[in-house]
Amino acid sequence: MRGVRLFPFLAFCWLLMEPAAEVRAELVVVVNARCGVAAMTRNEVVNVFFGRNRQFFNGVEAQPVDMPDGHPDRARFYRALVGKEVSEVNAYWSRQVFSGRMQPPSKVNTTEDVVKWVTSHPGGIGFVDLSKADARVRVVFELTP
Amino acid sequence: MLLIALSAMAQSDSAFSLQGFGTLGVARTTTDNVEFVRDLSQPRGIGKEWSGLVDSVLGLQGSWHLDPQWDVVVQATSRYRYDQTFYPEIAWAYLKYDPTPNLSLRVGRLGTEFFMLADSRWVGYSFLTVRPPGDYFWYLPFYSIHGADAAIAVPLGENVLRAKAFYGRSNGQIPLADEQWDISGSPMVGGFLEYQLDAWQVRASYANIQFKHDLPISAVMQKIIGRGTTSAEAAFLATRNTRTHYYSVGVVYDQGPWQAQLMLNHIEQGSNALESSDGGYLLAGYRVDQVTPYLGYSWVRSRQDVKPLNSLAAYVMADSHSDQHTTFLGMRWDVAKNLALKAQWDAIRGDSTSIFPYRQDRRALWNGSMDVFTMTMDFVF
Repeated sequence: MRGVRLFPFLAFCWLLMEPAAEVRAELVVVVNARCGVAAMTRNEVVNVFFGRNRQFFNGVEAQPVDMPDGHPDRARFYRALVGKEVSEVNAYWSRQVFSGRMQPPSKVNTTEDVVKWVTSHPGGIGFVDLSKADARVRVVFELTP
Repeated sequence: MLLIALSAMAQSDSAFSLQGFGTLGVARTTTDNVEFVRDLSQPRGIGKEWSGLVDSVLGLQGSWHLDPQWDVVVQATSRYRYDQTFYPEIAWAYLKYDPTPNLSLRVGRLGTEFFMLADSRWVGYSFLTVRPPGDYFWYLPFYSIHGADAAIAVPLGENVLRAKAFYGRSNGQIPLADEQWDISGSPMVGGFLEYQLDAWQVRASYANIQFKHDLPISAVMQKIIGRGTTSAEAAFLATRNTRTHYYSVGVVYDQGPWQAQLMLNHIEQGSNALESSDGGYLLAGYRVDQVTPYLGYSWVRSRQDVKPLNSLAAYVMADSHSDQHTTFLGMRWDVAKNLALKAQWDAIRGDSTSIFPYRQDRRALWNGSMDVFTMTMDFVF
């Protein structure tokens, strides 16, 4: 019983020690291929996903899409982007929501839905595995874990 | 009018969402010579007995996202308030219009953000400590205005400049002994400039309020010394038509496991009845897995600008005196999704004349020092 409980913990430690790229595919930030944005910096991505700036440099409205807490990509994304846990991101949004400033980005359940969102919104921007970024979207930022 | 607007909007094809937040908190202090309150909106406080009075709250928000530009938001909260009840009240109710993605206009009953974080003071889940540092926040019993505000974000390269301005009439009551100070109708105006540079956020803000009503000093003194104020005393201690100015600067660093804040404020009172003050706090936390221990230091000191008219005036003015500092140490544990447990120890050290932040003071016995122990469970849903 003890060994069973210990295993996930050891696996987690192992994940922490291993370079993540060897374990999992790379996460990338993608935008609608027609939005006119070719590349973004980390700060620009942070500003969009945290609602600080809702426009791309060319004036197109940024329409970020997020994923639910339970999806492993969400935790990976915010860890790689700002070094924050999902609980800290949720705490940030609870301050924005309950102070009446703004609502968080919409959430969709699967990577395929993220791609759909990005292609169906002119300023769509989301995060997916590099392998899922096809010709319908454009990779503007690569998250190095 | 708002109801008509709401019902009309509820019928239209729009997205409605219901969200909430809450805190179950218990706290106790090490003295019965003063009662500890979270801020001056609370008429009674706590002593040596564990109590859930000062920190517990439940909030519920309904928001209608009508289209990309229009939102209607109504938020109700239940917390211990000026009339010694937890009677729920409409904290905010407003219409929000975003003419461009980075410009936001609101009209209705609005939270006032005249100090950083002032409009999310009751959303325990959103911050690290069990409550906002007292030496900085407890003399701010103002929560909402009936008015309008405008907020703009201007991207400057990788950084963002934000500005906000608000104007409205204050809304609420502030308890004083068993009486109420009516601050409703008092015009309030303010704004801030904020610069976001990577993980750093720097803000300077200013606000002022012009009080519409006098403090209920005469009624309070009647109970304490058996006589009300004379007209000369009332004129000397008047708050009506006086203006109080609030200045603050804040720096926040938030990246990876680190969170740090430095805030400074200066309050310039227009009335002789209230002393002007300077306050501030420093707070730093470092997350280890799901647990974030933190350490902070806050202080407040007020000063008498004028000589009291007589002993009654001196008594009233002494009531608004503060001179103390607090070291606080605590831990936030994000135990489950959208649920945090916190424990905090506050070591308040001050002068025996520091009584402004408290209720039911026994001035002869109070020595200015106490410890506060708090445990909270904060959640959002």
